[in-house]
Amino acid sequence: MNRSLILKRILEIIPGGLSWCIIVSLILLSFLHPVSSAVIIISFDFYWIIRTLYLTTLLVMAHSRLFRQKNEDWLGRCEGLSLDLGFSDLYQVVIFPVYNEDLDVLRPSLLALSGSHYPKDKIIVVMAFEKRNVHASERALILEEEFSGKFGVYLSTFHPDGLPGESRTKGANATWAAKAVRKFLDTQGIAYEQVVISCFDSDTCVDKEYFGCLSYHFLTSPKRDQASYQPMPVYNNNIWQAPSFARLVEISSSFCQMIESMRLEKFVTFSSHSMSFKTLVQIDYWPTNMISDDSVIYWKSYLYYNGDYRVIPLYVTVSLDVAYSSNIWRTMVVQYKQKRRWAWGVENFPFVVEGFIKNKNISLLNKLRRSFQLLESHVTWAVWAVILVIVGPLPILFGGTFFSQTAIAYNLPKITGLLFKFTLLTSLTWIFLSWTILPPRPKGISWFKYVWLVLEWIFVPFIILIIGSLPAIDAQTRLMLGKYMEFNSTLKGNKVL
Amino acid sequence: MLNFRKTRGLLFYLSVFSFFVGLPFILAFALGYKFNSRTLKFVKTGLIFVKTHPPGAKIYLNGELFAEKTPTSMQELIPGTYSVSLELTQHYSWKAQVEVEAGKVSRIDKVILFPERPHLRQLNPEKFSSFRLDPEKKVVYYLDQEKNVLYRSDLDADSFEDIATLPEKFTQINGWDVSLDQKKVFIFNQHQISVISFDTQIDYADTTPAVLLDYAQEKINNVFWHSDSYHLIVLTDKHVQVIESRLGAVPINLVKLNKESAAAFYATKEDALYFSDSQKDLDGSFYKNLYKLEISVDPDVFEKLIRQPFGLVKTLQKEERE
Repeated sequence: MNRSLILKRILEIIPGGLSWCIIVSLILLSFLHPVSSAVIIISFDFYWIIRTLYLTTLLVMAHSRLFRQKNEDWLGRCEGLSLDLGFSDLYQVVIFPVYNEDLDVLRPSLLALSGSHYPKDKIIVVMAFEKRNVHASERALILEEEFSGKFGVYLSTFHPDGLPGESRTKGANATWAAKAVRKFLDTQGIAYEQVVISCFDSDTCVDKEYFGCLSYHFLTSPKRDQASYQPMPVYNNNIWQAPSFARLVEISSSFCQMIESMRLEKFVTFSSHSMSFKTLVQIDYWPTNMISDDSVIYWKSYLYYNGDYRVIPLYVTVSLDVAYSSNIWRTMVVQYKQKRRWAWGVENFPFVVEGFIKNKNISLLNKLRRSFQLLESHVTWAVWAVILVIVGPLPILFGGTFFSQTAIAYNLPKITGLLFKFTLLTSLTWIFLSWTILPPRPKGISWFKYVWLVLEWIFVPFIILIIGSLPAIDAQTRLMLGKYMEFNSTLKGNKVL
Repeated sequence: MLNFRKTRGLLFYLSVFSFFVGLPFILAFALGYKFNSRTLKFVKTGLIFVKTHPPGAKIYLNGELFAEKTPTSMQELIPGTYSVSLELTQHYSWKAQVEVEAGKVSRIDKVILFPERPHLRQLNPEKFSSFRLDPEKKVVYYLDQEKNVLYRSDLDADSFEDIATLPEKFTQINGWDVSLDQKKVFIFNQHQISVISFDTQIDYADTTPAVLLDYAQEKINNVFWHSDSYHLIVLTDKHVQVIESRLGAVPINLVKLNKESAAAFYATKEDALYFSDSQKDLDGSFYKNLYKLEISVDPDVFEKLIRQPFGLVKTLQKEERE
């Protein structure tokens, strides 16, 4: 085993090893020295209260920005600009990597795109199919017939299976499609600097103003090529039809992304996003052997530009499907697998640290800060629910007679109880905000559903248990043991499968 | 953007500040420390947790009224001995000296404040000599030896009724009990057992005549119902016997006893008789054993058992040498 491979394995072990160390240590401490365990739990509880309050405030701020910019005339603002790159020179490339999604999923995405206010002749659409999918050609033909005349250019690409150095990932497909776009741009003589590329999940339905907003930010941002542009993902496509469990999880995911948009120093691309085509070519496209291509593309750019790369939040929504299935248990499995795939973003840690070791131009402070942020976010994800729900009661249950006579044993449940009451208060804010981002109630859906949308928040503690930490622990343990995950498309759709 | 960034930065540092300033105080509180603003030092204290039944009692700590009522905790108490008094209107007060240790909680959580006027009411509308509760604690049986009547009522005495007349000739009742199916009662004296049926489905006056079992040769010490509500386990001064509750039944000796007055307890659930008896040691001295006599309800086993003169006897404990 060569040195770089050993280093890679060590870095892969660190997040999972750290998470397991924290969990096992706290469990053991609850038996061996319950007073210390109680001190740590109370400290963590207090940290969690402060953190929740802070993050909820950020959410309110992000939500306020989203609503303030909702009715902005972005195209009008773009046309009024006089910069080195004119709005009329700009092209939008949109890639939809398709795994095995049906036309029911793909068609609404293209319809939303065709309904965009952006000049369609400046939009290049690429439906990127996997060649191994037996329905690919048939679906490509149907969609071409329906949509080829509605955009400036409409391309269908078919990514061959088993190319050297590739895994079956979305990134490999998107890269194949982007290379096809590059050939097309070269033949048309369009400079890469004039092109913004968006890589969308196949169920992404854009807001009518999305490309206007994107163009404005792209054109007006200093060092526009050294930034990715991240819209706010909301899961509105089928939110009224989705079961409570899935709906709550996805609303929480949307909110987490909105919160992240306020923490620019940590903000990383997620799911559907956009960037300069020039940069994409320079960094050699998306990774073709990693599952978390949406975030790795950011880190590749960050390393390429020696740390001078950022993600600019776009306060405009892109709507995706809630992942769910035909019954609650299958929905839990679908959600669990989706969150585990997201948590597999922990593979970024070895990638980034290795990149930092090779890169001599990024300051040590920045390297340490970003590595710590990355590690901390994944470890916190893996342990927080375990500490709050499982480790929290252990000192009381197993602390023994001596511990039960101490003042801290008496105060621990009181302080933990206060935490949950406080969390309930912040939940009210989340409930209110979740109402405001809902799409209009479709015909055939009872008004009672509005009431249910509030009541369903009582399931939050249960959801915390199921998908709070477990998917992250699962993903980190797999990485730690070298059992690498393969890409599996999440079961999505506007209809129940 | 700048304003948002500034606000966010302010919020972040405010959160960090709140955490690091607040945490020591929260941990100090949790561990039982009290901040002394004069000396600017933390002093380790203890607390008293008080819970009463019924709740809502006033608490006096060293004679001073505490602001809250039970259940509550009195925190940040300097270690030492405290006089705690709990008072609730129309209830007996509770007082105690409570030791408070640093960092520890003294729990007073098993206090029952008894009412000064206990809720007392008479249940029996008729006189009686003794009473029994059924095994499920739902029915009370009263025996009036003067009138020779057996009464029955529920626990609130809402339905008090006479259910059986005892044989007039039967005198000096030493013991009685109702069968498990609650359809029969036995009474016994030194040499007789009588079993009276009182099935409620028919008028008790017309029920089957009482069964009389004579024990002329032996003195009856105790009688128990078998769980089948038909057999009786009889302890005499000489034997442990089993006898059917029918006219003309003949007792079967299960165990021969050495001591005349054996102490006994019958476990109806498992149909086992626990009794003590004396045994003679090799040196001629006597010692006491506790025995368990299993009398299974399984018909085969039971039949087999009553064919054996001494049943199945297990020695449980060798108590004391006499």
